[in-house]
Amino acid sequence: MLVLVLAAPLASAEEEILILPRDTTDAAVIRGSIAYRTYCVLCHGTSGKGDGRAAKMYTPRPANLTVSPFPDKYKELIIRGGGPAVGRSPFMPPWGDELTDEQISDLISFLREVRKMGTPAS
Amino acid sequence: MTPRSYSAIRLSLMAFIVTLAMPALAGDQTVGQAKKAFTVGAIKAKVGDTVTFRNDDEFAHNVFSLSDAQSFDLGSYKKGEVRSVKLTTPGVIEVECAIHPEMKMKIEVAK
Repeated sequence: MLVLVLAAPLASAEEEILILPRDTTDAAVIRGSIAYRTYCVLCHGTSGKGDGRAAKMYTPRPANLTVSPFPDKYKELIIRGGGPAVGRSPFMPPWGDELTDEQISDLISFLREVRKMGTPAS
Repeated sequence: MTPRSYSAIRLSLMAFIVTLAMPALAGDQTVGQAKKAFTVGAIKAKVGDTVTFRNDDEFAHNVFSLSDAQSFDLGSYKKGEVRSVKLTTPGVIEVECAIHPEMKMKIEVAK
């Protein structure tokens, strides 16, 4: 009985930590990191430096996202329409049909962090 | 029309029907992409054969391989479009779609 009483407050504290409000930037970055690891890591790599396992096949190499100079709106255009939509690599696929608007927004939030931190979260 | 003309027409017609009935050349195989999956899990082919991928979905697909036997990226393409690859090296080629990571199939290439 004593154990249960002591354990109850701990459980509540853990729940508060795990539940992140959906509309926060942190939540968007976490969701974006999941989308990145699912769809982007193949070419852009876990480091975000354009050194994914498929990168060696492409000329030009996939973009180094840790030093990307482009604004969010331009990144959205590339993600939605693919490289050819903005006159860049034909090997960057169009993700507009596959990803939801929220996923694209989350990815851009995550890429903003990648640019700030210099490398994606693991 | 002379009997000789009839024979010529009949022969031409028979040749046409035989051509239609022939299976596709062994070297040419088509793999569909539908409902976010390749229509077959694996195929067998030979060096020199051509494999064509046809997008039967409403959205874009891609085809690429990073296999040691042969690596390629056929790019992204919309519904109804096709992309082909000529097989150059024996071995197993694992084919994937960059847009849909769950899509995978294999080509076993013999000499």
